[in-house]
Amino acid sequence: MAYRVDDDYDYLFKVVLIGDAGVGKSNLLSRFTRNEFSLESKSTIGVEFATRSTRVEEKVVKAQIWDTAGQERYRAITSAYYRGAVGALLVYDITRHVTFESMERWLKELREHTNSNVIVMLVGNKADLRHLRAVSTEDAKAFAEKESTFFMETSALESTNVEDAFIEVLTQIHSVMSKKALNVGDDPMALPKGQTISVGSKDDVSVVKKSGCC
Amino acid sequence: MVTCWNSYTTERHSLKSPWSRKKRRQPLSRQSWNGLFTIEGRFRDGGIKFLKKARSGGIEPSIRADVWPFLLGVYDLNSSEEERNAVQLQKRNIYEDLRRQCQLLSSHCYQGNMLMNIDKINGEARYDFNEDAYSAANSEDGSPRLSLSMEGSDVEDQPVYDRTPDSASRNSDDEVDDEEECEITHFDAFLAETDSSDSESSYEVLKRIPKLNPWPTNSPSSKPETFSRTVEDYATWQRIIRVDAIRADPEWVACSPAQASVSLELSKQAAEAVDLKNYDHLEPCMIRHASRLVSVLEAYAAYDPEIGYCQGMSDLLSPILTVMEDDHDAFWCFVGFMRKARHNFRLDEIGIRRQLAIVSRIIRSKDAHLYRHLEKLQAEDCFFVYRMVLVLFRRELTFQQTVCLWEVMWADQAAIRAGIENSASCRMRLRAPPTNDLLLYAIAACVLQRRKLILEKYSTMDEIMRECNSMSGQLDVWRLLDDAHDLVVTLHDKV
Repeated sequence: MAYRVDDDYDYLFKVVLIGDAGVGKSNLLSRFTRNEFSLESKSTIGVEFATRSTRVEEKVVKAQIWDTAGQERYRAITSAYYRGAVGALLVYDITRHVTFESMERWLKELREHTNSNVIVMLVGNKADLRHLRAVSTEDAKAFAEKESTFFMETSALESTNVEDAFIEVLTQIHSVMSKKALNVGDDPMALPKGQTISVGSKDDVSVVKKSGCC
Repeated sequence: MVTCWNSYTTERHSLKSPWSRKKRRQPLSRQSWNGLFTIEGRFRDGGIKFLKKARSGGIEPSIRADVWPFLLGVYDLNSSEEERNAVQLQKRNIYEDLRRQCQLLSSHCYQGNMLMNIDKINGEARYDFNEDAYSAANSEDGSPRLSLSMEGSDVEDQPVYDRTPDSASRNSDDEVDDEEECEITHFDAFLAETDSSDSESSYEVLKRIPKLNPWPTNSPSSKPETFSRTVEDYATWQRIIRVDAIRADPEWVACSPAQASVSLELSKQAAEAVDLKNYDHLEPCMIRHASRLVSVLEAYAAYDPEIGYCQGMSDLLSPILTVMEDDHDAFWCFVGFMRKARHNFRLDEIGIRRQLAIVSRIIRSKDAHLYRHLEKLQAEDCFFVYRMVLVLFRRELTFQQTVCLWEVMWADQAAIRAGIENSASCRMRLRAPPTNDLLLYAIAACVLQRRKLILEKYSTMDEIMRECNSMSGQLDVWRLLDDAHDLVVTLHDKV
């Protein structure tokens, strides 16, 4: 997919990456925005963000993706940045069950701080470590179904499904937004600080479950 | 003991600012360092000349391992060599006790699903801010700072976890040598005094624990009246410590050839000793470094359970491990560093918020125009420098630059601890008095260096944050220090 000049876009969507420490959030971000991966990527302190523009249904969407620190301790800081998010990737590590167990807490946290219609995708990362798998795809699917979220398994290392996961979230945001014909104006950058882009009522968010390919 | 710094001359040269008009002072050399001491190893002048030199020119890398324990308050500036040897031995023993604690905890954490809490006793923190490290080390009064309680189905398998040496059956004069009989249910951790600038916090003067300890007598079944401190427990810290240890920055390797040349076999042994896994992609020296990070950080989490482990702390420890070759020396230097830095990692965020507020005040006092612009962008809380404050520029500067900055900062703090901040002879030619907040002035200087960009190009807080998060490799540490000192001179009375 072609990477576009940063300022040439129709919509700006804010998406947050959340999940426990060491599940690979920063590498998902760097894989999607810069096509880079590092086994030694440092822990994220507070919040960081990166952007990438991409075409979704004939519109240029600029995704502003906020990467957050995973440790509980930073929750107060990071949750302040959930404000205005219209999409979220809830990331766990398929080789560490404890990170999957945290998903419920992260989801609760997210829903407390964002519009209830935020598009959420559950992401089981590190799918390349097949021999170390500790969370079954079925369990994750069941959780996603129960919580009405999307689901994918990814590998930032092998670059598997990363693009698809982000694009799916952006597409869903766009689709919900178009359906509601939201009045966000011609210049989405003009949104006042802190205002959430409403993505429609809960019923509008169709649930699509994708099984991971790994 | 002394780390080899082959690349010193060229490294130092490259740190020199191409723009700096001020002539950089020479760093404290081995020769002048040795000349500062009397025959019994005491500073001739109480350390004034040492601190003055460290503040203005930094320290020659080859003597860092000798100098840092003084800068970080491990050793008193008035101590003799003999006294220091005694302190070192005592501290070494305490560190080893802490490690035994950690190993015991690890085996419990990994064996079962036992819920482990590091409890607070009646809300009293175990961090004792009264004690001076040096005098405490010489204190006979062994008192517990941390007790670990285990709750779980098979707790009866474990020996008396809620027992402390000062329970009613004993008194604090008892010799604290009963690790074997009760499998180390306590340790005697003394603490250095903390900086008092966060005294609005709950860390008011805390008396030693024994008098306050409400725990029942030596009945193994009775549980102390405790409450779980947070959702984060020791097992969580252990996990995150390992996650962070294996992704430590390898930049230090070039600076420490001695540590860089460790064999694979030795490094694997080190990893096994702390139950480190998933390191196959690492070089032997990084495996060993990761293992050392785990050892010291776990010990710290047990030593200071109020803070435990928070991501970012490994960034602060890594350079210390590079300079200090023995874990116990590194641990106590880290404790000295954390005396102030620990407030950054507090759960209640009081420390970090206070520091951001100071950066904000410095900017407001120095540049009202820029401050108004920040207000307009709702960025006057200076949240965009969060990472710089939290890990003290470690992510923005190179390894060498970071330690240069930290040394100058530590020297300021040491001067204040020693009560010589007002001594005219401790002042630099810039006339900048020592401050506890030098780092914050440096951060403000860093923002002010970008004022034009911020005023003309940035219309949201996000953009400023992105700018601040992408400064890596673009900063000149001595220029930053010069600017910071200029700010201190003009503003220290106002901020």
